[in-house]
Amino acid sequence: MSSAVRLTALAEALHRFEPPWIEVARVYRRICFLRLEGLAEEAQGVEDSEFAGAVARARAACGTGADSILDALMAEERERVAGAVAFAEVLVPMLTRRLSGLSPATAAAPAPPRARLPARDASRGIADFIDDMLAQERAGAR
Amino acid sequence: MTTATIEKQPASAQPSAVSFPPPARTAPAKPALLLIGLDLGTNKSCVLAGPAGSTDITVSKVVPSVVGYVKDGIVDGIITGNARILYGAEALDQMLHVDLVAPLDEGVISRPEAARDFMQHIRQLADPSGRAEIRAVVGVPANAGEIARENIRRSVQGIFSRILLIPEPFLAALGYRDDSRVKQPGYVDPVVNSLFIDIGGGTSDLCLVQGYFPTRDDQISIPFAGDAVDELLFDELNRTYPNNGLSRITVREVKEANSYVGPSRKPLDIKVVIGGKSRTLELGDAVGNACNALIDKIYPALTTLIQSASSDSVVTLLQNIIVTGGGSQIKGIDTVLQKRLTDDGYESPKVRLAGQDFQRYVAMGALKAARAARENQWQVLLG
Repeated sequence: MSSAVRLTALAEALHRFEPPWIEVARVYRRICFLRLEGLAEEAQGVEDSEFAGAVARARAACGTGADSILDALMAEERERVAGAVAFAEVLVPMLTRRLSGLSPATAAAPAPPRARLPARDASRGIADFIDDMLAQERAGAR
Repeated sequence: MTTATIEKQPASAQPSAVSFPPPARTAPAKPALLLIGLDLGTNKSCVLAGPAGSTDITVSKVVPSVVGYVKDGIVDGIITGNARILYGAEALDQMLHVDLVAPLDEGVISRPEAARDFMQHIRQLADPSGRAEIRAVVGVPANAGEIARENIRRSVQGIFSRILLIPEPFLAALGYRDDSRVKQPGYVDPVVNSLFIDIGGGTSDLCLVQGYFPTRDDQISIPFAGDAVDELLFDELNRTYPNNGLSRITVREVKEANSYVGPSRKPLDIKVVIGGKSRTLELGDAVGNACNALIDKIYPALTTLIQSASSDSVVTLLQNIIVTGGGSQIKGIDTVLQKRLTDDGYESPKVRLAGQDFQRYVAMGALKAARAARENQWQVLLG
């Protein structure tokens, strides 16, 4: 492999970490998932709108070499999505067996309704709202 | 070693050298504590600052979110003070001599080094002495991810001592609230039951605020806002008037002066200078189409949130839909959104604009939060 080809591959790899291309990858990943879920129409809608816009912005930021970056990025995302789906197909049954083995009652119980804190309580101050926010962040982090 | 000897001397004698006991040790003065409310916007940031324990606002500035790195080879004296880095309006004024860098894209930090330089500038604005301890509440887009939040924390490490990150639309509600009227009968507290639409440069954030801190499901952030409208208008201009040579900055200025939504307003004749010559371009459809695209993005998110509100709160909620941010300056945006809701059968909707302080509400809410935050709620920035 010549040094020119190695440099091109490196440049491609570096470009993919720039924000416009990260966005392109994210949207294309979503299109791949939608297609795998059988939602072809929705996938086409995203491709025609969000993906087209993201690619246009990335091309504008990139200049030359955009086509090769785009091709490589799309191939990589297709592979990534396929790998994730294959992994999930193996993992989900495994987790289901393990979780049902640990606590059948819990595994079968429906998720509790989203709790809403009391509204219109005039005594609640800004610090109380901040407490709510921090509690949500901790719950989301778990 | 010096010894202290005090002797009685005759009046005519020369005074002898004496050493005095060292002064009593005093504790070093504690640095002043300054609180900042910061709306870090993609195009414009707003900073409000004031001393802790006071309601005074000592700094209130809107700063274009841009850093200008002076190009190599610029002759001494061209740049004031021969500075190497310029910020905000000063950077834009000297755009021929600097490399302009926007630290944010779509509401989040995309250029960490420039973001850090920008934060240093914010600190300098708030505390010219450089001696105060600063705690800041910083607005973040609704549902900002952990990477975006971590980038903000890193950008202020060593600059602020403590930080709190709070979603912008909630801060807008806090800032918009008239605290002096909260207990008045008939005053509708925006924090109790309202829907805020904050249209900035990078994102349009919608948020249900109903007396509790909004959850993820109560907030929608759309990466389509002022910058996306600029882009559409730019593309449309290049289609209609090829090789017009207008810069994105000029296109934005045209948009900000003439933006509208709703039916086409023609003719909209705009005078611009192209290649040194004055030209008149008719931009009615171009401006209208670009701005109406924003409505098409916002409206589905608006109805999604309305439909998620509880049935006993939604009628009042519909009366309290508030548009803020730069997008609130688009002519007709309140009327058009209200009409669409009415046409779609929603009960007596009322959409209003936040008013002339639209640029400051997020920062005002952030400063209020900074003043109210308890000690254990702040995040300590190490380093």
